[in-house]
Amino acid sequence: MAQVKGKKAGFGAVLWDYLTTVDHKKIAILYLIAGGFFFALGGIEAMLIRAQLAIPNNDFLSAGLFNEVITMHGTTMIFLAAMPLLFAFMNAVVPLQIGARDVAFPFLNSLGVWLFIFGGIFLNLSWFLGGAPDAGWTSYASLSIASPGHGIDFYAVGLQIAGAGTLISGINFATTIITMRAPGMTYMRMPLFTWTTLVAAILIVFAFPPLTIGVFLMIFDRMFGSNFFIVEAGGNTIIWEHLFWIFGHPEVYILILPAFGMFSEIFSVFSRKRLFGYSAMVFATVLIGFFGFMVWAHHMFTVGLGPTANAIFALATMAIAVPTGIKIFNWIATIWGGSIEFTTPMLYALAFIPSFVMGGVTGIMQAAAPADYQYHDSYFIVAHFHYVIVGGVVFALLAGLHFYWPIMTGTMLSEKLGKLEMVIFFIGFHCTFLIQHWLGLWGMPRRVFTYLDGQGYNAANMISSIGAALMAVAVIILLINIIKTLVKNEKVGRDPWGDGRTLEWSLPIPAPYYNFAQTPLIRGIDVLALEKEEGDGTIPSAGPVEPIHMPNNSFIPFMISLGLFIAGFGALYFASGKPWAIDAVADLPVRPWALYVLIAGLAITFISMGVRSWKDDLGYYITKEELEADLRELEARERGAN
Amino acid sequence: MAHHEPEQLTETQLKYLRTERTKEMRIQMISFGLMIFLTFIAFALVALELDKNFIVPIVIGLAFIQVALQFYYFMHMKDKGHDFAKLLILTGLYFAIAFVVCFIMIVWIGNPI
Ligand code: HEM
Ligand SMILES: [Cu+2]
Repeated sequence: MAQVKGKKAGFGAVLWDYLTTVDHKKIAILYLIAGGFFFALGGIEAMLIRAQLAIPNNDFLSAGLFNEVITMHGTTMIFLAAMPLLFAFMNAVVPLQIGARDVAFPFLNSLGVWLFIFGGIFLNLSWFLGGAPDAGWTSYASLSIASPGHGIDFYAVGLQIAGAGTLISGINFATTIITMRAPGMTYMRMPLFTWTTLVAAILIVFAFPPLTIGVFLMIFDRMFGSNFFIVEAGGNTIIWEHLFWIFGHPEVYILILPAFGMFSEIFSVFSRKRLFGYSAMVFATVLIGFFGFMVWAHHMFTVGLGPTANAIFALATMAIAVPTGIKIFNWIATIWGGSIEFTTPMLYALAFIPSFVMGGVTGIMQAAAPADYQYHDSYFIVAHFHYVIVGGVVFALLAGLHFYWPIMTGTMLSEKLGKLEMVIFFIGFHCTFLIQHWLGLWGMPRRVFTYLDGQGYNAANMISSIGAALMAVAVIILLINIIKTLVKNEKVGRDPWGDGRTLEWSLPIPAPYYNFAQTPLIRGIDVLALEKEEGDGTIPSAGPVEPIHMPNNSFIPFMISLGLFIAGFGALYFASGKPWAIDAVADLPVRPWALYVLIAGLAITFISMGVRSWKDDLGYYITKEELEADLRELEARERGAN
Repeated sequence: MAHHEPEQLTETQLKYLRTERTKEMRIQMISFGLMIFLTFIAFALVALELDKNFIVPIVIGLAFIQVALQFYYFMHMKDKGHDFAKLLILTGLYFAIAFVVCFIMIVWIGNPI
């Protein structure tokens, strides 16, 4: 067990440490780096889309390439950027917030991140191996079965691998929060970010299996000759739409709930007040999670389910606005009368309220089924979901990055650059998407690669593209900020914002790898604020210093994921040129090696799993003496700093 | 998670543990027997070639009893400390049934309603 302390470790050692780590704090960094990379990739794709649409009759991207770019933009942003970045913050913060030494299943945590990384790489390799998927991020079966080449296969297999990772992480976080809370951390004392993570994790557990099934049916149809979606053979493409949206709508709440949680923390820290209406917030979170499963058909109003079905789903959809509204009012009441500090995270949080409300309002408009016949598949929809996803989720990710940066890296991002970034991003965001509401109402369809001159779309599209460029500028400023901060490497101490209210801010920075030397005792909600008011600001311990049981690092998760990655190629090329294959791949050259690659990949995965099962790994103990030495060293360091 | 070293059990504790385990085993055996019996009834109904409309609801009903036995007795849902798991399983069951009913109504039957 190599715990490098104090000494500078070589690059190879650090790399090996990260490849094998099971520490939630390091896995958070992995999620942050990989999610950040895919966020940049999706951002570049977005710039390509807006460049193509900036002027009429443009041929910067061909029609086919445009379809690939929009598909990969949506898929990358949702599955490979937004969710992993949220997982980065959950990993970094949630165990610390509830007083746990790690997540419930550290091994699975590592497996989750590697499955996501390999799935993401698999999906993006499509660019180099004959063309990316081009049926939209929703990949409706009628389009995707007909899509020639292997693009859709990359989508299906890549999402299956990454999705398995997400499902595993969902189970992990639900278990962690339910079973690993410190003494005194009752459900109704959990910080809001922990609550929203719990509900989002449960949503993942319920929502991902339908996606898994849908994607498996797609894989069987495209690669192994089945007929679930092939109409000529008695299949039904509508099944895909239902399965996708049964997953898809909860998915948007999986994204937005943790964002709500982060904003709740930020509002109360920088208003120096307890969150207003805590129990109402918890109730609203749970209610949103529950309702989220009963509304999926609002994405399918125009499919022809019939007026009764549409009415039921319209009503259920509108009902969700009620708990969401409760939240908005509670946030406003939290700020009200608070002693507000305008930091970068707080600015994002303040900007989030009006931006997200606008997205909510268009959501309600679309929920009215008859009206949706007008909006559907127009730019109005694009405006709606970017208002909620960018104005809600991306704002939260950027706010959370600034807010939790000290916990994750031990340094503080520049506030000056941060505020500049926030202002430019905010302006760019509204400039890009506000005008798209009108474009939609004027009749511009979504997912069409160009438009004619003289339809009145020119100016609005140009404005939208300029806004997109502004957002890119803001992200570049953020990158500069990050690089400058990392190079300067000025370490900060405990509670760097000065107003931390919850347990994670009570820890020294960087937190020791075992998080808590002694299990903390939680005496109330916002425990650090409570101890600051009533005591000396230190969290009491629930017990003496005791030896701590820790898991060993493991390379097996990497191998399991690698095996599936390799098997993916075997599955993908299996149907190439086979007589029974669907038309889309029947004319491609035969790949006789495909079956062997599939078997070899699965063998790697199952052998790795076997090694994990049959070779006992009992972990190790940190002795009492080591812990006491650490505590003394920490005390000396903090006394020296003052 | 800190694992505590197993402490030496006293004579009475050991006895208590043994009776508890015997009781648990008896319950497992009874529910196992019951489940075999229910399966037998289902098979018998089909083998007797009774009216379809009569068999189907009964078999589905038996299936629900089986699921309940499985969850409560074999997967320990009856034991203490499983409240959250119970809540999630029931919620999941509710969603799953809703989805299946929905699929039958609007995909399989397929007439717009
Ligand atoms: C007040 C709450 C909301 C309501 C009533 C609502 C309603 C709707 C409706 C009815 C549609 C379908 C429109 C159509 O395709 O014709 C839609 C699309 C969409 N919504 Fe929302 N929504 C809400 C909140 C959200 C949130 C919070 C998110 C994400 C964080 C979100 C993300 C999306 C996405 C991604 C789509 C487009 C999917 C696609 O076709 O590609 N919505 N929304
Ligand atoms: Cu939806």
